[in-house]
Amino acid sequence: MKKMKNVEVNFKLNGKEITVECEPAKTLLDLIRDDLGLKGVKRGCEIGECGACTVIMNGKTVASCMVLAPQAEGAEITTIEGLSPEGEELHPIQQAFIDKGAIQCGFCTPGMILSAKVLLDNNLSPSREQIRRAIAGNICRCTGYKQIVDAIEYAAGLLNDRG
Amino acid sequence: MLPEFNFKRPQTLIEALEIYSSGNYSIIAGGTDVIVELRKEKKAEQDILDITGLDELKGIRKEGKNIVIGALSTFSEVFSSPLIEKEAPLLKEAVRNVGSLQIRNRGTIGGNICNASPAADSVPALVALDSMLTLASPQGERKIKLDKFITWPYATDIKEEEILKSISFSPPEFTGYHFYKLGRREALAISRMNVAVMLKIKGGKIEKAFISPGSVMPSPGRVSVAEKLVEGNKPSKEIFEKAGFKVSEIMIKESGIRWSTEYKKPVIEQMVKRALIFAAGLKE
Repeated sequence: MKKMKNVEVNFKLNGKEITVECEPAKTLLDLIRDDLGLKGVKRGCEIGECGACTVIMNGKTVASCMVLAPQAEGAEITTIEGLSPEGEELHPIQQAFIDKGAIQCGFCTPGMILSAKVLLDNNLSPSREQIRRAIAGNICRCTGYKQIVDAIEYAAGLLNDRG
Repeated sequence: MLPEFNFKRPQTLIEALEIYSSGNYSIIAGGTDVIVELRKEKKAEQDILDITGLDELKGIRKEGKNIVIGALSTFSEVFSSPLIEKEAPLLKEAVRNVGSLQIRNRGTIGGNICNASPAADSVPALVALDSMLTLASPQGERKIKLDKFITWPYATDIKEEEILKSISFSPPEFTGYHFYKLGRREALAISRMNVAVMLKIKGGKIEKAFISPGSVMPSPGRVSVAEKLVEGNKPSKEIFEKAGFKVSEIMIKESGIRWSTEYKKPVIEQMVKRALIFAAGLKE
C-alpha cells in the first residue's frame, strides 16, 4: 500500500489558532472528534444526512463528515464546546434547550444547537416555519421536534432580552 | 477513516491544471458526492485534488448580458445571490431544496453538473436557461452547452485534463417560471423527478416556452416539441395538459418502457401541467 503523505492544517477552532499534522484521508469529523478530543461533534450517518456532526465553518453550518480535514485550511470552526468555553455559564440556546425539555438522548443536540445558533445569528425573530427549515438538516429521533422548535423560539427571546 | 490517498490543494488554476494532468487525481470541491463515494471504496484508486482554494472558480457576476457563475459557487451562494434572484429566479427555486442547509453550504454547482446525476436539481433549470460551460485545460479553454456536456446518467464529455471553470447564460425574457421537485420528503430528498419551466406571455398568448424535465431522460434537455405545442396559444389548462402528454411521450421514446414507467408517465404529465399552470399564473 502506498504511504500517505501527512499534511499540515492550520485553522481556528473555537477561537484558538491551531496547527495539526494529519493524514489526508480523515474527515473534519475524525480530526475534531478523535484527534482533538472534542466529543460534542457526533459521529452519525457519515453520509451527510443526519446532521449530528454539524459544526459551524466560516459562519455556516456544514456536516463535518463531508469535509476532508485538510479542506479546513484557513477556516474558522465552531463546535458546541465553543459556545460555553469556560463551561460555567451556558449559552442561552443551550439553556433554552434544557428549560424547554428539548433534549432526550442528547445525540442530536450539539448539531441542533449549532444550526439554531447560525439561524439566530442572522435572524433574532424567526417564525416557527423558519426555525423548522433551519433545522431540517438535523434529525432527532426522540422529541418529535416540537420542544426543539419551542426551545429555539424561547432562545430568540432570551437573546433579544440580552440585547 | 477513508481509504488512503495523497492530497493536493493548489491556490491557482494554472497550478491545479498542472497537478491534475501530471498524475492520477480525482477532484474534490464541496465533497458531498465525492466523500460518499470514497466511503464505499476499500482502496482509493486516485489521489485527491482539492480545488476549493481556486479563486478563479468563485463568484457570481454579470459580464455584458451574461450571468457567469463560478463552478465553485455553493447552492447557498446561488440561492442568496441578488443577481440570480433578479435575473434567473428559476435557478434560485431549483436549488432551494437541494439536500439540507449543511449540504447546500458545501455542495457546488460545478460538482452538481460534473457528477451528472439525472436527479441533479440545478441541471434542469440551467438547461432551461440554455447554459454554456467553460472548461479549462493546460491547452486553454473550451466552451460547450450544458445539454451536450451531460451525455448519460453520471457521464459527461469532460476530458482527462479538464476542470470546469464556470457556467454562463444570457437570462431570457420571461413572465413566469416554476420549478417542480417531487421527492419522498421535503428535506434531504433526492428528486424522484423534477421539471423546470419558464413562460413568456405577451398579449394573452404564449410567445416562448421553456420546458426542461429532470430524472426522466437519459440526458438533460429541453422538450422542444412540447414547447412548440404551447407557443402561440392562449395559456389554458387544456394546452398545458397536452404539453404534459408530449413530455411523457418523449420520455418513453428516449428512456423506453421501464418498471417505473407506469408510475412516472402519469406523474410527469401532471408535474409538467401544474408547473406550466403556476408559471402562467392560472389557478389549478
